[in-house]
Amino acid sequence: MKPNKAQKIWMYEHMLVSRYFEESIEKIYMEGKSPAFNMANGPIPGEMHLSNGQEPCAVGVCAHLTAEDVVTSTHRPHHVAIAKGVDLDRMTAEIFGKKTGLSGGRGGHMHIFDAAVNFSCSGIIAEGMGPAAGAALSRQLQGKTGVAVAFLGDGAVNQGAFHEVMNLAAVWKLPVVFVVEDNGWGISVSKSDSTAVEHNDTRAAAYGMPGYRVINNDPVAVFEVAGNAIARARAGEGPSLIEIETYRLAGHFMGDAEGYRPDGEKDALHSKDPIPAMKRLLVAECGWGDSEELEITTKAHFRVDQAIQFARDSAYPEPEEALDKVFV
Amino acid sequence: MSTDIVIAQDLWEEDEDAVITTWLASDGASVDAGDTVAEIMVQKIQHDIVAPASGTLKIVKEEDDTVSKGDVIGNVS
Amino acid sequence: MSDVAQKERKLTIARAMAEAVSQEMRTDERVFVMGEDVGPLGGVFGNTRGLFDEFGASRVRDTPISETAFIGAAVGAAADGMRPVVELMFVDFFGVCMDAIYNLAAKNSYFSGGHVPVPMVLMTSTGGGYSDAGQHSQCLHGTFAHLPGMKVVAPSNAYDAKGLMIAAIRDQNPVVFMFHKALQGMGWLGTEKGAINHVPEEAYTVEIGKAKVVREGKDVTVVGITSGVHHGLKAADILAEKGVSAEVLDLRSLVPLDRESILRSVAKTGRLIVVDEDYHSYGMSGEIIATVAEQGVKLHCAPQRVAYPDIPIPFSRPMEQWALPNAEKIVNSYELMTR
Repeated sequence: MKPNKAQKIWMYEHMLVSRYFEESIEKIYMEGKSPAFNMANGPIPGEMHLSNGQEPCAVGVCAHLTAEDVVTSTHRPHHVAIAKGVDLDRMTAEIFGKKTGLSGGRGGHMHIFDAAVNFSCSGIIAEGMGPAAGAALSRQLQGKTGVAVAFLGDGAVNQGAFHEVMNLAAVWKLPVVFVVEDNGWGISVSKSDSTAVEHNDTRAAAYGMPGYRVINNDPVAVFEVAGNAIARARAGEGPSLIEIETYRLAGHFMGDAEGYRPDGEKDALHSKDPIPAMKRLLVAECGWGDSEELEITTKAHFRVDQAIQFARDSAYPEPEEALDKVFV
Repeated sequence: MSTDIVIAQDLWEEDEDAVITTWLASDGASVDAGDTVAEIMVQKIQHDIVAPASGTLKIVKEEDDTVSKGDVIGNVS
Repeated sequence: MSDVAQKERKLTIARAMAEAVSQEMRTDERVFVMGEDVGPLGGVFGNTRGLFDEFGASRVRDTPISETAFIGAAVGAAADGMRPVVELMFVDFFGVCMDAIYNLAAKNSYFSGGHVPVPMVLMTSTGGGYSDAGQHSQCLHGTFAHLPGMKVVAPSNAYDAKGLMIAAIRDQNPVVFMFHKALQGMGWLGTEKGAINHVPEEAYTVEIGKAKVVREGKDVTVVGITSGVHHGLKAADILAEKGVSAEVLDLRSLVPLDRESILRSVAKTGRLIVVDEDYHSYGMSGEIIATVAEQGVKLHCAPQRVAYPDIPIPFSRPMEQWALPNAEKIVNSYELMTR
């Protein structure tokens, strides 16, 4: 299943929105945090995990999904949320802790829920897998259309939840796809130091489901593999596991000095940045020119700038609103 | 006319005895045929005892009493 | 016709729970059951008996021994519009799945601004007294009630069990339904006869968060939940012989806690004893005494608690029985406080 021209452009567009969004967040995050880096200060307080470089995972998978499909993501969720169609204004306001945010500022950047497009994420490693399997079970029980996709990092495969949910999904043949974004690092610990197998797609065999690996952070290859896995889930043939070799071009979190990286790794990764690579592909295969590039870039920037303005202009919640929504 | 509540021979496979764990209706209560009136236990397994007829329950064997297959534990009249 | 009106229909808590779930499953297709051995076996504690035969393997699902997976899945199914009833066989097993419970089920409503509620029921067995030692005998009332975002109910009898279960299934929030093994009506766990009572056949609810005065009195208030209620009732009988009138309050819910009913009763009696099979420190008993203290209710004497000592639950019969709350300890507490 190869992407057509419109799908390639869709993927590129969402990669651009995501990247520009993260670059904007990165700048704003540092406001009020210099010279003293105090996480509690500035318009965006708290932890911040940026997804620069991991856009191919999000767009290659979400190109096959509609709003009714369920996605659970990780503590590094922005690229997936954007590709899934989460309301960008309200997501940005949430990241700023504003009243207009998706949860009114109760969750923040690691707890983004948009029921309109069935997106959620969590700050606990591998925690989205159970809910994704449960949503898939819900569709199976109700005979309703829609599949679930759980995104996780390569560090998550060593969590108990990964193994439990892989087994449960397989034994119940649930319409769910597990997508490992393999950026090679669990904060500062390398994949090779933490994981007993070289590639996690091989773990799928232990649960009797197909496993695939995509190399070179290639959005088109992700599209093809994810398309097959999602089609398989839609057809009621059960779950799949996909591991995507991707690049974390930022630190684990903002303020990460990244001293654990081997010399030269960061430069090498930047030289393989998937966004210029995708542009080259469009130029080569889709007659992409300067005018198309200008138009799509302008549109992406406008969209992100608008969301950031919305967030900045929004009011903070009243402190007492903290007491609401514990129960509904 | 009175109908005995008898522990059926085929309620469990082994020959061991059972214990009445709970009467789900009181002595003298009105019961309908088919109502579960007692639970008996063989090891950890519980079995239901149902009223064989409608009428007034008379309890013969009490809770915690040991009973065997074929025993009359009460009647309905 | 008077025969029909008077007809007694006693159930064990196990049967009452199964009946509640089955009645909701008949009227609401979103309700389904998941857990270990809940299928053909009918639950290790009998509370899903008959469900598999009536509703089949799709809606009454035996799971792998994988609490993190299936409780996490319940959260996802609830968020997607289903009403899962899941069983954590022993509450002591919460250690292998607490993340799904308190980081997902309890927080998703809040983190979604109320847009993604989690209408699920987590039923779990509590309590000891039958020499199962410290990994299968705890109550952990305080552990669950402490964490915001989950309602917590714990019935002392079959009538409340059915009504609370139906209320829990219909609730839009996650509800932890704790059932005490000794009250379950399973002969092999010992059976508290007082837990077996009349249960109407039709579906009804018992409001979550409402305590009940199960015995009126004027000299001392005994507050308890599950097994503690039965100890309190037995103590009240003994105290009555001594000319002391004890009021027994069955909390029925830990979250929300019916503080008003506690305060009303204690204001009347001026004396308070809290009974809890959960650990003594940092738990329900302290919370109730603090509630009374904060409100400045005038007491005739210092309040007392009869709770589990702060020790892992021992196996050996004399040690375990010594540690458990009982009626005699409540009577002794009363005598101590009024000395």
